[in-house]
Amino acid sequence: MYQDNEDDCKFAACTYFAKNHPGEMCGSNGLPLTPSSITILGRAQRLLTIEHPNLCTYLDVIRGKHERIIVVAEVIGKSLKECTSKFSFQEIVNIAKQVAISMKFLHDQDIIHRTLSDDNILIDNEGRVKLFNYGLYYMTGGGSEVSFPLGLPRYLSPETILNGGGPAADVWSYGIILLELSIGKLWNNLKPGPILRRILTLVHANNPAERIAREHDCFEQYKQVPENLRNIIEKCLKIYPSERATFSELVEDLTQMDSKELVEVKTPRGLMGCKLQYLYHLWQLAGGDIQAELKKNYLIKNSPPILSMPIAILLDGCTIGGKTGALFDRRLAKYSLDLLKSRLSHVPPQDFYPLMHERRKEYDAVALPKIIRERDTEYQFYRLLWFHRLLHGYPYTAPYIRAEAEIDIPPLVRGDVWAALLGVVGDIEDQYERIDKETPTPTDRQIDVDIPRCHQYCWLLCGSAGHKTLKRLLKAWLLTNPQYVYWQGLDSLTAPFLYLNFCNEARAFACLSAFVPKFLHKFFLKDNSAVIKEYLAKFWQMTAFHEPELATHLHEINFVPELFAIPWFLTMFSHVFPLHKIVHLWDALLVEGPALPLFMGVGILRQLRDTLLSSGFNECILLFSDLPEIDIGECVKESIEMCRSSPRSVSYRRFTNEAEVKDPMDIVEIPMEVLFNEISPRINLSDFFSLICQDKCCVIDIRSNLLYEKSCIDGSINVPYSGVHLGQHELRALGLHPQRVIQEAIKQKKMVVVASAEDETAQLFSDYLVKCCVPRVCILHGGISALLTHVPSLFTVPPKRNGHK
Amino acid sequence: MATNRSGAAQRPNGAPQTKVCQFKLVLLGESAVGKSSLVLRFVKGQFHEYQESTIGAAFLTQTVCLDDTTVKFEIWDTAGQERYHSLAPMYYRGAQAAIVVYDITNQDTFGRAKNWVKELQRQASPSIVIALAGNKSDLAAKRMVEFEEAQAYADENGLLFMETSAKTAMNVNDIFLAIANKLPKSEGGGSAGAGGARRLGDAEQARSSSCCK
Ligand SMILES: Nc1nc2c(ncn2[C@@H]2O[C@H](COP(=O)(O)OP(=O)(O)OP(=O)(O)O)[C@@H](O)[C@H]2O)c(=O)[nH]1
Ligand SMILES: [Mg+2]
Repeated sequence: MYQDNEDDCKFAACTYFAKNHPGEMCGSNGLPLTPSSITILGRAQRLLTIEHPNLCTYLDVIRGKHERIIVVAEVIGKSLKECTSKFSFQEIVNIAKQVAISMKFLHDQDIIHRTLSDDNILIDNEGRVKLFNYGLYYMTGGGSEVSFPLGLPRYLSPETILNGGGPAADVWSYGIILLELSIGKLWNNLKPGPILRRILTLVHANNPAERIAREHDCFEQYKQVPENLRNIIEKCLKIYPSERATFSELVEDLTQMDSKELVEVKTPRGLMGCKLQYLYHLWQLAGGDIQAELKKNYLIKNSPPILSMPIAILLDGCTIGGKTGALFDRRLAKYSLDLLKSRLSHVPPQDFYPLMHERRKEYDAVALPKIIRERDTEYQFYRLLWFHRLLHGYPYTAPYIRAEAEIDIPPLVRGDVWAALLGVVGDIEDQYERIDKETPTPTDRQIDVDIPRCHQYCWLLCGSAGHKTLKRLLKAWLLTNPQYVYWQGLDSLTAPFLYLNFCNEARAFACLSAFVPKFLHKFFLKDNSAVIKEYLAKFWQMTAFHEPELATHLHEINFVPELFAIPWFLTMFSHVFPLHKIVHLWDALLVEGPALPLFMGVGILRQLRDTLLSSGFNECILLFSDLPEIDIGECVKESIEMCRSSPRSVSYRRFTNEAEVKDPMDIVEIPMEVLFNEISPRINLSDFFSLICQDKCCVIDIRSNLLYEKSCIDGSINVPYSGVHLGQHELRALGLHPQRVIQEAIKQKKMVVVASAEDETAQLFSDYLVKCCVPRVCILHGGISALLTHVPSLFTVPPKRNGHK
Repeated sequence: MATNRSGAAQRPNGAPQTKVCQFKLVLLGESAVGKSSLVLRFVKGQFHEYQESTIGAAFLTQTVCLDDTTVKFEIWDTAGQERYHSLAPMYYRGAQAAIVVYDITNQDTFGRAKNWVKELQRQASPSIVIALAGNKSDLAAKRMVEFEEAQAYADENGLLFMETSAKTAMNVNDIFLAIANKLPKSEGGGSAGAGGARRLGDAEQARSSSCCK
């Protein structure tokens, strides 16, 4: 074990094996049984969220090879077992009190310890006590997921030995520990069998504590123990569980005995004062490797596989022999933080306490792709500290959080940040608590068959804890949204929220509840066809807008989004990509807002552009049935760029949750049938006006020359529709001047706005431009006449041009 | 293109006079009966325990070789949830073959299969070849739909019928082969929707007829 400065050892690991299901057994649905290790990991998630001053915080639970489980948790000082000097009675009372406080806390949460022993009670130089790995019984489902017995024999209560026992068994173990602290180790040289027999014989004793003391020839010594401490011990060591004191009673008694306040251990400043979870995360980023260290400490042994082969395999899959090493290792491997310390040694002290209103530090790393930034120790260190502060001030800091999230979101706090971005506030636990999540409904069958198919590669979601929670979330959402129904895909949509809030079901629910109205308003109506059709039509328009060549090709081969894009949008891509990609997509989505997904769709098409352009209908549709690898970072970047460069009205949809548009300058809504026919989107007068003012658009007036020369939009060019040969898809055919102007506009990334007197010609001409591969083509909504009514100032009489095109 | 790993049939080496026919086939049936799993088994020879649910539809192709003809299936695997029903006509319109799938361990799915058969008989092309697949036959211990019952129903309605298992691959290739055999492979090809096979090479025709507008 490590001999470094003890203070540097902030966490430690221990390891054991989960039970093996014999053979390849299947459940009644024909699917394989969930491995025990997965079940354990699912249960252990709750432990990771427990924080208490007298409990060593759980940091990680890892699944190793061959159903190995590795538990990583905080450590302090050393265990009672390692303390060789005797404690004074004063000290014993102090220890007793802290253990009782932590045990009361656990019992209040319905967590039974069951393995309380002298080697998992840790104490530091200041006399602070913390329990280590108190959740073994809990995470293994009361021991049912492991094939070794839990707990050290000498701390087992009589009823536990007889195969029973509830929380009161912990009180017994606690009593034994206090007795040991007072009179020395019990049953020291005995084997487990005899110890258990000794404990069972206590059943006949009136006062088991005294009896034990006598057996150990320590009766006199026992009588020296102050009476009040003896009382405590005797209240615990009652044969009948119902007669034993509870931890709340014990805490009360002990508080009276020891009025001294607990030593306030000051949190150190600087790195060692950071949240332990952050330290662990950063330590890993800096190269810390739990498994490698375990091997170094011989807790994981590397023996040649031949030695661990079973001697025989029975026909039912059971194996005999071959297992090497213990199933449960009581040793701890402690980890030094030296690595991390030296990695961050150059960080000046003031950087640990960033001030909220200070100008943000610029980091070089921002230029790197997000996945790389997420692995950069120093970058994550700064980001975590910063987000930690911002989240602390939520909801007042909401705008800051949004601004920072735009840069990136540290994976460790993604769940918190998403909730903040979605505006989750209030007593969400209480609200969630009130919802009926159990009563069967006719939708249950569909939910039941979908959940075991939903992101099952993710070990959190594939265990029974994940299945149950997902079902509750879905049922709760359906119940609170009676206007909606369960569409397949809602499961996938819920999964990312569950994944990030695995132990905070209420928050997962609150996030989902906030997400749907924002991004998927009306998508889950029983009849959602109009909503979906509009969405897909807008998606197709955005494709024509940003990728005209591709759009033209896809139109030509009759490749319509109905065939492939429904799952994209209905689930906001959560049915299409694995979770590690979805989180990056949604990071952007939550910041940019509900227009972004349309452009993400275009971004995906853009990545497949070359393949699509050279493919026919069948190859295209095959490509989407089995989507090739998509670079999500790139896709996000491109889609944000497209989204921001597109005037708002271009991506307007009627089915959103936003306030109704009233001002005629802002209107772009057109009847659905018209929408389905228009390849290019419309732009409203307001957006058009802004573009003109910023010199960001090229206006093509397609009215007759006569009308144009009377009055036209300042700066526009005239391409009379009647003279255009729609069959010739070449800009050249429009004449030299228009060709130049349009090419220049393309070069400068300007919008190309078609202004006409009638919708029909505007539509046909914009189609024509798209076929000529002109990007960013849109139609002026309401045409020339509307503009003339509302913004007459834009009009002028063109100078007479001599000579025709 | 699609390689045939399922071993259903091998492309005969250099048989120049082989006809190539292309058929559109659609899979219908209640959710989670194993439609996607059957297609995956047939096309890639694989079985995924945690096959994702299908939203909208998925498209795959596979080629099988009969004595003198190569049959290329264009397979539309549809979503099973009742709510997606309104999309189904888009996929079965113009299909020359359909596999209606139910789960032998669930009586309700058999009822739903019968409804699909009815709908196809009413709405799809009159010459459509329909096969009924009782899937998950590996779970015979939990059987709720008797073989004889389904067989009798299939006989009454002139359907091909087999019990299949995507998990063990039992009868999966066989049911597709049986369909291939039953499909008319007239020389001229015939247009989509008329039930005849189209000859490959008539590429433009093939493409536009695959569209579901
Ligand atoms: N035991 C067994 N399980 C099967 C078989 N075929 C499919 N399954 C399982 O049944 C579940 C549903 O299969 P899918 O192929 O997704 O069903 P589907 O009909 O495509 O469902 P939807 O896409 O929702 O319409 C999956 O978990 C499969 O692993 C089979 O032959 N035997
Ligand atoms: Mg499917």
